[in-house]
Amino acid sequence: MSENEASAAEGPGEAAEIRDASPTDTPDSSSPTAPDSLTDVAPTRKARRRPETITAAEVEETPKAEEQPAKTTSESTVSQGGWGYWGSWGKSILSTATATVATVGQGLTQVIEKAETSLGIPSPTEVSAQVEEEQKQQGSSPADDAGSEKDKAVGDGSSAVGSAMGMLSSLTSVVQSTGKTVITGGLDALEFIGKKTMDVIAEGDPGFKKTKGLMNRNATLSQVLREAKEREELQTAQTEMSESEKKVVAHYGMLFDEFQGLSHLEALEILSRESESKVKSVLTTLSGDKRVQLREELDHIKESFSLVEFDDEEVDEKKDEDGSEFDRDISEALEGLSVSATANKLSKACKNACSQITHMTQPEKEEEESEGDGNKAASVEEVHAAAIRSLAELTARSIELFHKLAETILFSSSSTDASLLSQLTVVLCKEISLLSKKFTSCLTTAGSNEKGDVLNPLITGVFLEASNSASYIQDAFQLLMPILEISHIQRRAESSEQ
Amino acid sequence: MTAAPYNYSYIFKYIIIGDMGVGKSCLLHQFTEKKFMADCPHTIGVEFGTRIMEVHGQKVKLQIWDTAGQERFRAVTRSYYRGAAGALMVYDITRRSTYNHLSSWLTDARNLTNPNTVIILIGNKADLEAQRDVTYEEAKQFAEENGLLFLEASAKTGENVEEAFLEAAKRIYQNIQDGSLDLNAAESGVQHKPSAPQGGRLNADSQPAKEGCSC
Repeated sequence: MSENEASAAEGPGEAAEIRDASPTDTPDSSSPTAPDSLTDVAPTRKARRRPETITAAEVEETPKAEEQPAKTTSESTVSQGGWGYWGSWGKSILSTATATVATVGQGLTQVIEKAETSLGIPSPTEVSAQVEEEQKQQGSSPADDAGSEKDKAVGDGSSAVGSAMGMLSSLTSVVQSTGKTVITGGLDALEFIGKKTMDVIAEGDPGFKKTKGLMNRNATLSQVLREAKEREELQTAQTEMSESEKKVVAHYGMLFDEFQGLSHLEALEILSRESESKVKSVLTTLSGDKRVQLREELDHIKESFSLVEFDDEEVDEKKDEDGSEFDRDISEALEGLSVSATANKLSKACKNACSQITHMTQPEKEEEESEGDGNKAASVEEVHAAAIRSLAELTARSIELFHKLAETILFSSSSTDASLLSQLTVVLCKEISLLSKKFTSCLTTAGSNEKGDVLNPLITGVFLEASNSASYIQDAFQLLMPILEISHIQRRAESSEQ
Repeated sequence: MTAAPYNYSYIFKYIIIGDMGVGKSCLLHQFTEKKFMADCPHTIGVEFGTRIMEVHGQKVKLQIWDTAGQERFRAVTRSYYRGAAGALMVYDITRRSTYNHLSSWLTDARNLTNPNTVIILIGNKADLEAQRDVTYEEAKQFAEENGLLFLEASAKTGENVEEAFLEAAKRIYQNIQDGSLDLNAAESGVQHKPSAPQGGRLNADSQPAKEGCSC
C-alpha cells in the first residue's frame, strides 16, 4: 500500500501549487493600459451610431482595393472611420482572456443588444448576409478556383467589417488563455463578435475590476464554466417564464453541463494537474546533462502544442451537408487511438446538428412565398436554441474525447503523437466554425421578416458561443500537454530499464 | 432534458468503485435512467451520471463518477477519488473474489478521500440468489467492522438501487447538519448553493432512516 500512501500524501500540496500555473494565467503587463484608453474611447462610443444603412449590397460595391487579407495592421484600421480606437486597447483587454469566459451566459442578449445599438459596428445580420452572398457567388462562379474566389468575397464584403476583423485577427492567439497559438489564422467573425461583448464589459466595468478579479483568482476553466452555469441556473429558477418560453431559451452553460462537459473537463484538469506535478518532480530529481536532455525532449513535445495552424478561410459552408466528412476527418485523426466509443458520440452529435439544420432549412425554402409563421418553418428562437444546444453538445463531446484520450494515453505504454492531437483540435474547431456559420445563415433565412433588433442578438449569440466553444476546445487540448510529457517520461524509464 | 429543475441546494460528488464486472455502471444507469443495461461496455477511466434527488426535503444534485474496475485503469482512476462526499463500494454477491478484494478498495477509498467521506458497501446482483457466493451476514459484519453503510441491491431489478444512493446522501446531509462535515473544506465533495430557492423547510426532528442499513 506504499503507493497509495504516497499518492495520498502528495495530494493537497499539489493542488495549491498547480493552481498557480492554471491555464487562465494571463500576463499582467497587458492590463494596466486598459483603463487609460477606456476614458479616451467612451465619449466616442456614445456619439457613434450603428450604420443602419449599410446593407450587404452596398458593402458589395466597395472598391476591390479593399481586398486585404485578414491580417490588417492596426494602422490601416485607424484610417477606417476610427476603428483604431478599438485597436489601441482592444488587444490589451483581450489578452486578459478570462474576459471571454466571463461573459458566458451573462445576460448576453441584453449585453449584445446594447453593444449593437451603442457601437458603430456593422450588425451581425450584415455579416451573416455576407456569408450567404459568398455562397451564391461561389455557386454561380465556375469552380476554377473556389478558394481564391471565396477570399475575394470576404475581402469585398468586409471593407468595413473586414478591417475591424483584421485588426482582431491578431487576437486569436491571445484569446486562448494559455497563450498558445493553436489557431492563428481565423475565426475572424467569432472574434469580431466576442470583441463587441468585451467592449460592453469594459463599459459596465470601468477599470476592469471584475475582470481583474477573475484573473487574480486564477480560476481553472471548469471553475469559470461552472460559475457561468450556476448563474444561468439561478436566472432560470428566478425568472418566471411561461412554459413555451422556457423551451426556446437556450443556456449554453447549463446545456454544456447536461452533456457532462463540465465533469469531463474537471476530470481532465485533475489528470493534467497531476501529470504536471509529476513531470516537475521528475525534473527536480534529475541533474546536469540528463535534465537538460529531458528538457529538450519535453520542449519538443511542447512545440507540437503551439504550432498548429487553422485557416478559417478553408472552412467552406457548402461542405459536409450531413456531417459525414467530419466523421471521416475525426476517424482519420483518431486512427490508432482507441477511443472509438467517444468519437462515435461526437460524430453522432455532429450529424444530429447537420440534420437539424437541413430540417430547419428545407421547409422554409419551400414556403418562401407564404407569409407569416407557418407551423413548419422554425422560428428564429427555435433555430437559435438548436444552434446553442448543438454547440454545447459538440463542445462537451469534444472535451469528453480529450478526457478519454488523456486516460488512454496515461495507461497505454505506446507513444501518442502530439501532432495527431493538434490535428484533431483543428478538425473540431473547424467543425464548430462551420456549424456556427450554417446556423447563422439558417437564422438569417428564418428571420427574414424579423426586425434587426430581434435577429441580431440571436446571431451574435451564436457566434459568441461558437467562439467560446473553440476556446474551450483549445484549452482542453492544452491540458493534454503534461499528460503527453509524463507519458513520454514513463516510456523513457521503461526503455532504459530494459 | 425539458423543464429540468435547477433549484437544488447542494451538489454531492460520489464515486463508484469495485472490481470489474460487479455492475457499477449498471447501478448508475439504473439510478439515472431507471433502466437495466444488459450489454454494458467496459468503462474506460471514468464516466459520469447526475440526478437530483430529495434528501430530508432538500434538493440535492448527485454528481456521480463511475470509475473503471479494470486493474490497468487503477492508477488513473485513483486520481478521481479526491473530493468525493460519498463512495459506493460495490462487489458481486455471486463472485467471492470481488468480495475478497474489498479491503484493497477500501484502503484506496480511505487514503484518497477525506475522513468524512461516507462509504456504502453494495452487494450487487441480489437477484441471482441461486448463485450466491457471499452471505448477507458476513458482508454486513465486514461493513460494521469498518464503519460502512451496507445494502444488497440489484441493478437488474432496481431493488435497493435508489436506496443505496439515498442512504449515503442522507448520511452526508446529516454530517453537514451536525457540523462534522465542513463545507468550506476544499475536499468536502459538497457544494452548497445558498442562493438557490429553498425547498421544504428542514425539520429538526427528521429521523435518520435506518431500514436496511447498518448504521
